[in-house]
Amino acid sequence: MTTTTPTLGPAPAPAAARPVRRRRSSALLTYGASLLAGAAIWELAGHLIDPVFLVPFTDTVRRLGELVASGELPTALLASAQVFGAGLIIAVLVGLPAGLLLARVRFLRVGLEDWITGLYAMPMVALIPFILAIFGFGFTPKVIVVFLFAVFPVIITVYEGASSIPARHIEVARSFRARERHLWRDVVIPYTIPFAMTGIRLAIARALVGMIAAEFFLAVSGLGELILITSRRFDTAAVFATILVVCILGVLLLALGHALERRFAAWRGPS
Amino acid sequence: MRSTPRDINAVHDPAAATSRIQIRGLGKYFDELCVFDDIDLDVGSAEVVTLVGPSGCGKTTLLRCIDGLVAPSTGEVRIDGAPVVEPPEGVAVVFQHFGLFPWKTVFRNVAYGLRMAGVSRRAIAERVPAFIELVGLRGFENSYPYQLSGGMQQRAGLARALAVEPKVLLMDEPFGALDAQTREVLQFELLRIWDTRPTSMVFVTHSIDEAVLMGDRVVVLKGRPSTVHQVIDVDLARPRTRATTTDPRFHELREQVWNLVMSTPDDHNSVER
Ligand SMILES: Nc1ncnc2c1ncn2[C@@H]1O[C@H](COP(=O)(O)OP(=O)(O)O)[C@@H](O)[C@H]1O
Ligand SMILES: [Mg+2]
Repeated sequence: MTTTTPTLGPAPAPAAARPVRRRRSSALLTYGASLLAGAAIWELAGHLIDPVFLVPFTDTVRRLGELVASGELPTALLASAQVFGAGLIIAVLVGLPAGLLLARVRFLRVGLEDWITGLYAMPMVALIPFILAIFGFGFTPKVIVVFLFAVFPVIITVYEGASSIPARHIEVARSFRARERHLWRDVVIPYTIPFAMTGIRLAIARALVGMIAAEFFLAVSGLGELILITSRRFDTAAVFATILVVCILGVLLLALGHALERRFAAWRGPS
Repeated sequence: MRSTPRDINAVHDPAAATSRIQIRGLGKYFDELCVFDDIDLDVGSAEVVTLVGPSGCGKTTLLRCIDGLVAPSTGEVRIDGAPVVEPPEGVAVVFQHFGLFPWKTVFRNVAYGLRMAGVSRRAIAERVPAFIELVGLRGFENSYPYQLSGGMQQRAGLARALAVEPKVLLMDEPFGALDAQTREVLQFELLRIWDTRPTSMVFVTHSIDEAVLMGDRVVVLKGRPSTVHQVIDVDLARPRTRATTTDPRFHELREQVWNLVMSTPDDHNSVER
């Protein structure tokens, strides 16, 4: 009966694999070349400009090695990672349900939507003095800062995702006698996951900013502290080495965010 | 719109006794807009009633009322004598847009209705493959909807509806989004499946050919608001196959429905007024 079916289906996937791989390796080449060029320009500029302002790439890398060997960088990295991780995890754990509830519960939405968009638009750094006044120095206020930086993009993207569920999905579920809790399980949550991943990716970027801001303006610690004290000693190479580490961290974390996003949006198909 | 109490009705009215779906005085307003009004219709337990009418005349809304997805403004729908106020058990819908969940595989989409009906995991594992086989989707259990053609997606939609072994099937232009060839293939497959497990079916379609081919009766909806303009009995033998479409009687009926659909909409109303 199904003379038409065998020719259809997911067959195109393997055929497409090779060009993708070729494209990916050529992208890697371009990527590497651009990194090399950047390092070269940095090196050149470093030799032309006063070492107080800019240190050549090679000196930065050498100083980076020293910071790692002395244990200064690993210690700072660990301290920062704790602030970053705790703040981000709490932001995700709070942001996901908050966004979903906001989308599904009418009175919450009506009551809180403007507050949340307002807080999202507000530069979080402005809140740091208040946090300092209320919570003082220590680990907790720093985690709160990271949390505040990171939570709003999660809430907003999850909320927007969960409110954009096409009515037809809800109707299908209701025609099979779904109650609200079944809707959450089979429609609301799975539909929203890709949006949540986008929110988490945005949150990662903002949590990193929040982490450095907290380490600058609250009790100095971690990578922020390392940047502050080395710059006070005019140890520009160490400043650059630390900033380089923060950059690499950011790039890696965002790549992780992108990977998560792609993994959980697979059912949307190639766009 | 009868004034006699329903339970007495059900006992004394021979037509009602055998009908699975009873629609009485059904009307639906959206604010000022009256979509349809005063619809009376009975559908037997092994009968296919096809609904034809211009787009926007309220066919989807009527199906939603029958399934209890929206409340009618006037009148009521009963299934096996019980008034419909929310989607009843034993009623399954096949949607024009297929209605598959894009984040679920074919298997899990087909299993969805069973899961919602509280069927055990083991029974699901046993029954779902049979229905996937029935609609010719074997080998695609783990595919996602985006990986399937429209025809295959609707096969999955059909399997999901059939898997709950419904006593009422509501079909909302199920093949309306498919190309002509796929549409024809699926029409005859649905006829074949229906012959092995006859159910009460309300089948909405744009296509007059499809209405005559599938239906035991064709209901022509017409007017503003829509009402039942005419009901045509389709006396074509079952099982119906491709051969049915070459039957001269098929063409007669098609012409008859065509003329009813095409006649100026206000002819009858204006005479009455
Ligand atoms: N939820 C709704 N709110 C307001 N108007 C609606 C709603 N659903 C349908 N309608 C209107 O009712 C009419 C009939 O729609 P529908 O039942 O989808 O028609 P059909 O399925 O015959 O094309 C249309 O004019 C449509 O705009
Ligand atoms: Mg419709």
